[in-house]
Amino acid sequence: MIEVQHLTKRYGRVQAVDDVSFRVERGEILGFLGPNGAGKTTTLRMIAGFIAATSGRVMVAGHDMATQRVEAARRIGYAPERPPLYDMLDVGAYLRFVARVKGVPRAAMAAELERVSAACRLEAVFHQDIYKLSKGYRQRLGLAQALLGDPDVLLLDEPTAGLDPGQIHETREVIRRFGTEHAVLLSTHILAEVTLICGRVAIIDHGRLLTIDSPMGLQRAVEQSNRVTVQVRAPAPALCETLSSVDGVRRVDLRTVSGDDGLFTVDCQVDGRKDVEAAIARAVAVRWDLHRLERQQPTLENVFLQYVTAGPARGAAR
Amino acid sequence: MSGMLAVYRKELATYFRSPIAYYVVSVFLLGTGYFFSYNVVLTGETTMTGTFQNMGLLLLTLTPLISMRLLSAEYSAGTAELLLTLPLSPWQIVLGKYLGAVTILMAIAAGTLVDLVPLYLFGTPETLTIVAGYLGFVLLGMACLAVGQLCSTLTHNQIVAALLTASVLLGFWFVGHLQGFQTSPTLRGLVGYLSFGLHFVDFIRGLVRSEAVAFYLIVSAVALTLSEGYLQWRR
Repeated sequence: MIEVQHLTKRYGRVQAVDDVSFRVERGEILGFLGPNGAGKTTTLRMIAGFIAATSGRVMVAGHDMATQRVEAARRIGYAPERPPLYDMLDVGAYLRFVARVKGVPRAAMAAELERVSAACRLEAVFHQDIYKLSKGYRQRLGLAQALLGDPDVLLLDEPTAGLDPGQIHETREVIRRFGTEHAVLLSTHILAEVTLICGRVAIIDHGRLLTIDSPMGLQRAVEQSNRVTVQVRAPAPALCETLSSVDGVRRVDLRTVSGDDGLFTVDCQVDGRKDVEAAIARAVAVRWDLHRLERQQPTLENVFLQYVTAGPARGAAR
Repeated sequence: MSGMLAVYRKELATYFRSPIAYYVVSVFLLGTGYFFSYNVVLTGETTMTGTFQNMGLLLLTLTPLISMRLLSAEYSAGTAELLLTLPLSPWQIVLGKYLGAVTILMAIAAGTLVDLVPLYLFGTPETLTIVAGYLGFVLLGMACLAVGQLCSTLTHNQIVAALLTASVLLGFWFVGHLQGFQTSPTLRGLVGYLSFGLHFVDFIRGLVRSEAVAFYLIVSAVALTLSEGYLQWRR
């Protein structure tokens, strides 16, 4: 449904998107994961036809974005990161406008507006002016607009940003349901989001596609990026040996603490199990002075590091 | 066609949900009423000539306020990202918006018809001259709005769009004055031809010259084509 080939966008000297290629099939949700500024929004904008690619090609439902943009646009529902809302209109008038442009026939209009309002829980605000809506409603109206006309392809730029936990859950359900019969590309910088709803995950950083992996593979990378840092006064060789022998510790990195020869900081790479800190604490405290023990949450940066060090050959990248 | 119509309806809905359209229409009608009373009561002439002259100037100052939001507001509110990714060609966007603005212009023109009531009650004005004047007024307004839309296409700032439009329109209006400084007949002809004001004067005297009609239509078409081109190019 979506086919992106060697897509590149340059702004002057800045390479915003660099030779990105991937496909999204019908019935698939592809997560686009990357830190802010990685090129996610730029890529989505090129697929949606808001900006043109410097080079490369975007095909949506068999239409080339460069030459048949309007035909391709008929098949796309696009929810930009900032909901594109006309503050002076009310919710109903806004949805009616978008539906008309998308060619929803007059006879089907009322049912179509009802369908998307129900899916995005907008019934309560249907007659309200948009400028009065809360952030959560604005976000959901941005999504509702994209669902109008039942497009084949849904492009969602950070669809859950600014929602509360209940709304996030509902929105993910809407996307999941939609993704069973359509092609969905959604960008996010939230790790949990992609592992929850996406069938595959594209990892992008500095405009480059590092890899496309399964949520399982991503989960593995997340686990491998788990770290426990301990600070202990102990003889170095014995300390390394003890820590390495703890069940769940994969690798240890020993660093001296400046100004104190006997004190060491150790980064332990651990797997996902929950009791690993306790096991480390027990193993160390039996023999030595444990000064500090800290579990580092897996951050996107650490996960990226896993992929960068693992090399782009991992997974079915390009 | 249906896409353009949807844009057009959306434009009208947003115009009349913001105070700007009401402000512009009422200021225009108040202004016209004032000038009409002044011109007619003071001179006792049952013509619209003086009033049309003033209406032209009101048009120059007020059309930038109608056109400034046309695309600038879409850029700054982020709705351009919707509008330019919907299945709409740039022409459908440009024309839908333009016709929305022209409808406001027509509303203004229709509102000023009130002034004709006393004219016909207490005198015998020349109907054809008045019709020619209105034709000129609408054509001039269409050209002003097209120029304004082009300016609004170029910037995300509505104030900048309005100021730019006003400068361009004043330039076009008064460029005819340069005739007095030119000795070369070619240059005299050129600045005269470019003048919004000189063409308009013909209309309000009751003279509908095809050259003048063509002039305003060409200015509108060129400005709209440039808007369309810019929308394509900025992708």
